[in-house]
Amino acid sequence: MTQFQELIRVLVKGQVELIIVGGAAATAHGSARLTEDLDLVYRRTLDNVGRLISVLAPYKPYLRGAPQGLPFQWEERTLRSGLNFTLTTLLGPLDLLGEIAGGGGYEELLPYCVRLHIFEVDCLCLGLERLIQVKRASGRPKDFEVIAELEAILEERERDE
Amino acid sequence: MKDILARDPGTDFEPDPVIEAYKKDVDRTLIRENLRLTVEQRFEKLMRLQQFADELRRAGRKLQKPR
Repeated sequence: MTQFQELIRVLVKGQVELIIVGGAAATAHGSARLTEDLDLVYRRTLDNVGRLISVLAPYKPYLRGAPQGLPFQWEERTLRSGLNFTLTTLLGPLDLLGEIAGGGGYEELLPYCVRLHIFEVDCLCLGLERLIQVKRASGRPKDFEVIAELEAILEERERDE
Repeated sequence: MKDILARDPGTDFEPDPVIEAYKKDVDRTLIRENLRLTVEQRFEKLMRLQQFADELRRAGRKLQKPR
């Protein structure tokens, strides 16, 4: 099980600049779908990558689905030379994304974020409209049901306003 | 940055016929129920759902094991 509470708290308290996206963002907006991992867009500055490395290190990040024993080093150089990482951690599966298709990186997404106060910390989450736009841009058939639900949430929210 | 209920003015969606077809099957009662919860409660509910899914998978694996 993903310990969303601990993952978010640890990262935010470690001053990692991040945006919640994907299924967890959908949950925040009211989705009823089951999601297994936490998708985060992280800011790719040297300082932020350094914080990310040190804050997550105790939770032993490793490449998800990869055989044990690969020479994977959880260090700044690894993160700097890659972009998107699907990881396992002691707190559950975590996807660290430098960019998302149709949305870009941290700086591009920032204007479309909402601030959430959850688990006693403040963190950023991609806004519902942009989340829909990003999912639409990806054009993946597996996202059709997700987009339909997100658009229904938007309609329900507007109905209540 | 906006409040969680704010509308992103730059985003107006043209209805997509494929998505509209999928939308008919969305259970809006679940959405309405979730919208009444706080964001934290929504995550707590998700974690309970994950726990339930884990239990079901465990039970399924047990069934598949040869006796």
